[in-house]
Amino acid sequence: MQPVAIESVLSPWEPGIFSLTLYAILVLAFVASQLFLASWLGEKKKTREKLRPYECGIIPTGTARLRYPVPFYMVAIFFLLFDVEGAYIFTWAIAWEKLGWSGWLQISFFIVLLLLGLVYIWNKGGLEWGPAAQKI
Amino acid sequence: MGAGRAKDLKGRLLNNADLLINWSRKYSLWPMFFGLSCCFVEEAAAFTSRYDLARFGAEVLRPSPRQADLLIVSGTLFKKIAPVVLRLYEQMAEPKWVMSMGSCSNCGGMYDVYSVVQGVDQILPVDIYIPGCPPRPEALLQGLVMLQEKIGAEKPSRSVLHLKGGTQGSQKPILVDGQTKSRDPRGPGMEGTVIRGTSVVPPEFQDSRADLMWTPPPRQIELIGPDKNLAAVLANRFGETVRISPRVSDMLTIQVAPDRVKDILLFLKSEATPKYKRLDDLTAIDESARRERAAYPDYTLVYQLLSFESGGRLRLKVPLTGRDPVTRSVTDIWPSADWYEREVFDLFGIRFEGHPNLRRILMPHDWEGYPLRKSYPGRATEIPPYTLEEARRQQPLDGGIFVEGSAAEHQLVLNVGPHHVSTHGLMRYIVTLEGEEITSLEMDIGYHHRAAEKIAERQTWHQFIPYTDRVDYLAGAANNLPYVLAVETLAGIQVPERAQVIRVMLSEFFRLSNHLVFFATYAHDVGAMTPNFYTFREREMILDIVELITGGRLHPSWFRLGGVAADLPDGWKEAVDRFVRIFPSRLMEYETLIRKNPIFKARTVGIGRLSLDEAMDWGVTGPNLRACGLPWDLRKKTPYSGYENFDFEIPTAGEGDCYARYLVRVEEMRQSLRIIEQAAANMPAGRYMTEDYRFVIPQRKDMLKDIESLIHHFINVTRGPKIPRGEAYAACEIPRGEQGYYVVSDGLGYSYRTRIRGPGFANIQVMPLMVVGATIADLIAICGSLDYILPDIDR
Repeated sequence: MQPVAIESVLSPWEPGIFSLTLYAILVLAFVASQLFLASWLGEKKKTREKLRPYECGIIPTGTARLRYPVPFYMVAIFFLLFDVEGAYIFTWAIAWEKLGWSGWLQISFFIVLLLLGLVYIWNKGGLEWGPAAQKI
Repeated sequence: MGAGRAKDLKGRLLNNADLLINWSRKYSLWPMFFGLSCCFVEEAAAFTSRYDLARFGAEVLRPSPRQADLLIVSGTLFKKIAPVVLRLYEQMAEPKWVMSMGSCSNCGGMYDVYSVVQGVDQILPVDIYIPGCPPRPEALLQGLVMLQEKIGAEKPSRSVLHLKGGTQGSQKPILVDGQTKSRDPRGPGMEGTVIRGTSVVPPEFQDSRADLMWTPPPRQIELIGPDKNLAAVLANRFGETVRISPRVSDMLTIQVAPDRVKDILLFLKSEATPKYKRLDDLTAIDESARRERAAYPDYTLVYQLLSFESGGRLRLKVPLTGRDPVTRSVTDIWPSADWYEREVFDLFGIRFEGHPNLRRILMPHDWEGYPLRKSYPGRATEIPPYTLEEARRQQPLDGGIFVEGSAAEHQLVLNVGPHHVSTHGLMRYIVTLEGEEITSLEMDIGYHHRAAEKIAERQTWHQFIPYTDRVDYLAGAANNLPYVLAVETLAGIQVPERAQVIRVMLSEFFRLSNHLVFFATYAHDVGAMTPNFYTFREREMILDIVELITGGRLHPSWFRLGGVAADLPDGWKEAVDRFVRIFPSRLMEYETLIRKNPIFKARTVGIGRLSLDEAMDWGVTGPNLRACGLPWDLRKKTPYSGYENFDFEIPTAGEGDCYARYLVRVEEMRQSLRIIEQAAANMPAGRYMTEDYRFVIPQRKDMLKDIESLIHHFINVTRGPKIPRGEAYAACEIPRGEQGYYVVSDGLGYSYRTRIRGPGFANIQVMPLMVVGATIADLIAICGSLDYILPDIDR
């Protein structure tokens, strides 16, 4: 039996530029037609009240562009950090057999470091949420 | 020829498109989640399993107008809310339809009164009118089917395709009161007859035929024990400035000079024995239309206090003179006096020096005149009609005005309500938010002011009973009780035992029904949808029993002075027994869904805590007070209507948080069931109406057979019984707390002044104590746990 060449099993990268273009045009046309139909068929009456933001039937007060309190950013950033780190761990998990013990050690070091970071922000109160009265 | 065929083809294509568009539209209506008053309860019932609105493709009640295309105006359109309704309508998606549900929305209904617009068609185009007060859920379904037929006849494809012509959505013109619609509340064609009540209301009416009738003097009580001692102590200490009223029908009453009233109140609150810790009520009487004018001052201010130690009440009457009198505020003695004084200012124009924030509370901020003055017209049809222009102009006050100082500049000011699913009615909270945390809470009430107190001054004593049902539209007949008790106290009417037990049984049924709605909506507020569909099943069972006995559902109006409207019908016992058998296991089932549910507990335990001292000081009543640990229940403390003969307990909980309030209400359901069981088992035989027909509507059989009874019936139904001159107060433990009626008679067929002390007014005033410092999500949990209802706050 002849060994199977890996190249012939997996299809080679042959960019069929025509089909790709056609596909892209179709998608764009479909999306555009949907958007157009929705906007053209939908009845619009742009009165002053209709364009006003809805706030329980009352005319809204003040601006909605406020300085948000810091905890919102903190939670968002912590989430982002731990989320991105997940990407490293998943990629390691796929290749863990190949990477062997050294890979395991490296990722363990990475995870421990993360845990230390988590303990640190936990201690610092970075994960506190809710009204001031409950934080005390 | 060719052009003709093309036109024909186009017409056929458009017709087919019409069919398709109409078919899809009429079976996918999205009603807006918006209730004005009682009718919405029936609308909500139509949404639950028994009526199942989903069968008609309209079950998706949308909380935002942007997602809704059907506005069901369910309930009374108040002048204060009309601008909001108009805005919500204009913010809805196109095309849109409007259904007017119930008499109030159709034409003002029984509320021909200064604060109510006489029909929503004066500001919005209406497609379908549903009659009834309130219409049953089936009527709403019928209305929906009629709307579907109307939609089926529309020609929308032309407007959809931007062609000329075509019809879709509501296109009827709005009506102008007095021009394109009749201003007569009875409908067109009645112009020749004077509207009932207008000609008999003082000060115009002079020669009342009631003067020809003799009545015995009002009931008189002897002061005993602590009351007598207190009267002596007060007379001793304050000398000439206090005068003990010699003849009273209900409680110790003291006339106090205006300059000493604060000292006396302070003494009564902190030094007297017993101490009167709660300001039960504060109101006023405009005395200018008294028939013996010289015997009265211009206004009388009435303070009513309650002692938790003795269970007794005390009334302080302060005469005030002048057209716009000024007196001193007592907000530094009782913080709860804040809203009461604002209400007196709003409705009577009496000013309070030293009040921190004396502005209108119930009426819109730009309202002119003081409605409860005798010179103020009562009926909406007596004042200029409400127009679309007014609805555009008279906007609710801007939220920023409520928020003080710099907070408004860098914090988020958010209006929650009056149109909001979780405010349980037309209530507006103005919250200031720092992130998610509430830093201040202001409340704007009065969107549901139906002016029941003013109406009481023109309806006869009997005619007013239907209005009492609607004061707390989930408590039905339980509302009638304090009113009839107050009038019975004043006139000394004896109620037969059978009628008393029937009253108790129905009141307890309504407590159950109310608490079931609480259970469902509260679970819904904190995120659980399921209980809604379950508990309304038992609620319908209760309403079936109520209907069997009274003929009504929400508003039976079934209690009468001296008894009840009719005897119990055949088969009532079986229906009640069946319910008593079934209910405990059902309640247990619902409880297992909620009581130990970790999400429910996380949302409620420790949230919205109120201390017992605060609750007592602010006049909080009902389950909300008992959840703070005080076993205070009028059914036990000052038993009425024979409650002393029943074996039941007062459930309490100590924590005073949302969870405690939930626990108390659930346990109350079990106790109510015990009372119902005992009432049904030991229903006494005998009459359902008192024997003395002087003040009451006689039993039907007697009226048909006996000339004396017929005459009493005629007099008491037409011009109303002459109730002897005097005053009386009676309070009952209705599902939400203590509801009391203070009735003042000037010896005529209708009351001179009727004051309703609603539990909600006091229960809501403490909200900031619970809410400030909590998160915005907790606001919803706290609102729901207080179980308030708007008509009893705004009345």
